[in-house]
Amino acid sequence: MSDGTARVRQLRSGPSDEPQVELWVFGLNHRTAPVELREKLAFPEEDLADVLRRALAAVPVDEAVLLSTCNRVELVAVSARDVDIVEHVTQFFARERNVTASTIAAHCYVHRGKQALQHVFRVASSLDSMMVGEPQILGQMKEQFRLAVEGAAASRILRRCFERSFTVAKRVRSETGVAGKAVSLSSAAVELARRIFDDLGDKTAMLIGAGKMSELAARHFVAQGIASVIVTNRSFDRAVDLARGFGGTPVPFEKYPQYLPLADVVLGSVTTSGYLLGPSQLHDVLRARRRKPMFFIDLGVPRNFDPAINDLDDVYLYNIDDLAHVADDHRAEREKEAVQAEEIVREETDRFWRWISRRDMTPTIVALRGKLDGIRRTELERALVALRKLEPDERRALEAMTQAIVNKILHPPLSVLKQLALQDGAEASEVAELVHRLFALEPAEAGEAADADDEP
Amino acid sequence: MSEALLLWLALLLYLVGTICGGLSLVNPRESTRRATAISLAVGFLLQGAGIVVRSFEVGTIAVGTLAEQGALFACLLVGVYLLAQLRYRLAVLGAVVGPIGFVGALAALVAHGGAQDVPPFLRSPWLPVHVTLAFLGNAAFALACLVSLVYLWEERQLKSHSVGHFVRLLPPLETLDDVNFKFLGWGFVLLTLSIVSGALWAELSFGRFWSWEPRTIWTTIIWLLYAVLLHGRVTVGWGGRRAAALTIVGFGVLLVAFIGVNVLTPGRHAESFG
Repeated sequence: MSDGTARVRQLRSGPSDEPQVELWVFGLNHRTAPVELREKLAFPEEDLADVLRRALAAVPVDEAVLLSTCNRVELVAVSARDVDIVEHVTQFFARERNVTASTIAAHCYVHRGKQALQHVFRVASSLDSMMVGEPQILGQMKEQFRLAVEGAAASRILRRCFERSFTVAKRVRSETGVAGKAVSLSSAAVELARRIFDDLGDKTAMLIGAGKMSELAARHFVAQGIASVIVTNRSFDRAVDLARGFGGTPVPFEKYPQYLPLADVVLGSVTTSGYLLGPSQLHDVLRARRRKPMFFIDLGVPRNFDPAINDLDDVYLYNIDDLAHVADDHRAEREKEAVQAEEIVREETDRFWRWISRRDMTPTIVALRGKLDGIRRTELERALVALRKLEPDERRALEAMTQAIVNKILHPPLSVLKQLALQDGAEASEVAELVHRLFALEPAEAGEAADADDEP
Repeated sequence: MSEALLLWLALLLYLVGTICGGLSLVNPRESTRRATAISLAVGFLLQGAGIVVRSFEVGTIAVGTLAEQGALFACLLVGVYLLAQLRYRLAVLGAVVGPIGFVGALAALVAHGGAQDVPPFLRSPWLPVHVTLAFLGNAAFALACLVSLVYLWEERQLKSHSVGHFVRLLPPLETLDDVNFKFLGWGFVLLTLSIVSGALWAELSFGRFWSWEPRTIWTTIIWLLYAVLLHGRVTVGWGGRRAAALTIVGFGVLLVAFIGVNVLTPGRHAESFG
């Protein structure tokens, strides 16, 4: 026995006293970084898989998911406990996006452990969004998580975290008014259009690029009675598809400038290097329109329209940050709901963190003890049948002895298992699996049962 | 009813209209909007009745003093505003038009005096026609100027991306621009008619259409200015900020000329408008 305790003590005082792995969130978002920087850092969606592969090579992490939207670039990762990944990630982003490391360091945030988990939950629930409650983020997260799973970048731990975050998001959506009250960027755009134009019923919107955001905004404009929609996209097929969706007219990307004079509202969401439209191109367009006002909405990151066009007479340019400002008015209402949502997220984080922390151990401990106790009882029964004429205190002594044997055998392994249970990470589940195999424990009793009953 | 009583009542209703107009800025509701319009309309009718009563006293349209001219101008401005308001949603302007009517009625009340000596050559049915046309035109130009000021302010807010509570109450830019155009057009037509009526009157009374004196010179300049502005709007498509700025400049010139001519310079118009 003294041997066992010594070993346990050694384990406790050793480096493995701490959990073996660490959950990280490293990122920049609309709160910490201006759009000029976000647009530089944003990864095009088609590159995400490659970038993730490079990230896994460059940064000492076991698992990683890369989130890149208009408003955030984040690396969610799992590393060994004793590794600090911050410097590595900073350097990686700097290299990838050609930004100085100091710029990134000045605008980034880092969350670890439970905080990181809570952050992921908040992002999925759209509580960390520029427009709290906007619905797009969940879809984007799911998609980018899928990429990570396909690239084998997200496995055991991140998989659990993300899948859980989607469930939390669903709960937040159904139990609070955050989503219902969400005044999306799209409705802010429509509201602004109503400040400029007296009647949308004779106006035309042009979509340049078929981004999710601009599609949503276009739908809003259609619902609010805009007369017609022109859709253009690098992939003409996609433009045709989209145009069919709301009875619009698709035009080839090369030809869209000649349709510009028809457009009263122009929504840009193309991935470009450099501006799509600047003041010089617009002079002729405005003349052709006899200087009727034009409303440009830049949903692209990087931005599609040169900010200088806002200085032209009769041109109004709003980018994604400006729209969010306009929608600020409704924020107070939403934030009341958000308080309730934050409560849900906190509760879920606590539950999930507790669960993660004692992953699979309780069932293993119960199963192991049950198994040995079962053997003891069977064997004791058999012995008692053989030794028929025993006095009651002799019987009791025999029972106590077998009990003591089992307890002493169990003590060191149970100590180790309990110790592991306090940690999160991969080792615990590996050991649990091993114990199950060594003692031929029923798998249903452990892993599955834990998933079914124990998981919050 | 005596003129003073009518003016007092008009004053009261303009005050109510102003307060309701102010309230509808804070808390835009259909009821306050309607209350503004109704009290301004009743105020307009009462003040108009007051002017009619006074005119009968004087023997011709009551524009003998600067105060009376101001009162007539304010009254017609409220009237034109109310007409325009039937067509366009200009409720926010009620908060500005109300005080103008109030000041006009107040001026008439304060300056309320006895009988005036009207020069014999002015005792002509042409006078009310000529003066009413000119003042209606001026009222339209004043409203165009007002609308342009609102336009410029709203435009600047939208450009600088600060869309506050107040901006949300204003009519859309396009509406303001359109209303500006309409006011300018009507103002121009009325100004032209007043010039024509003046010329005809001069022909009939003095035997010549035109005499060059400060008022007619300035009126010609203002007429040309608005003609250029309207021409630019119709043919070149001047609109928005440029049109608004020019409208304000135009009305500025008009205001300076009107007051300047009345106070400083000799001539037939000055003789009559003591």
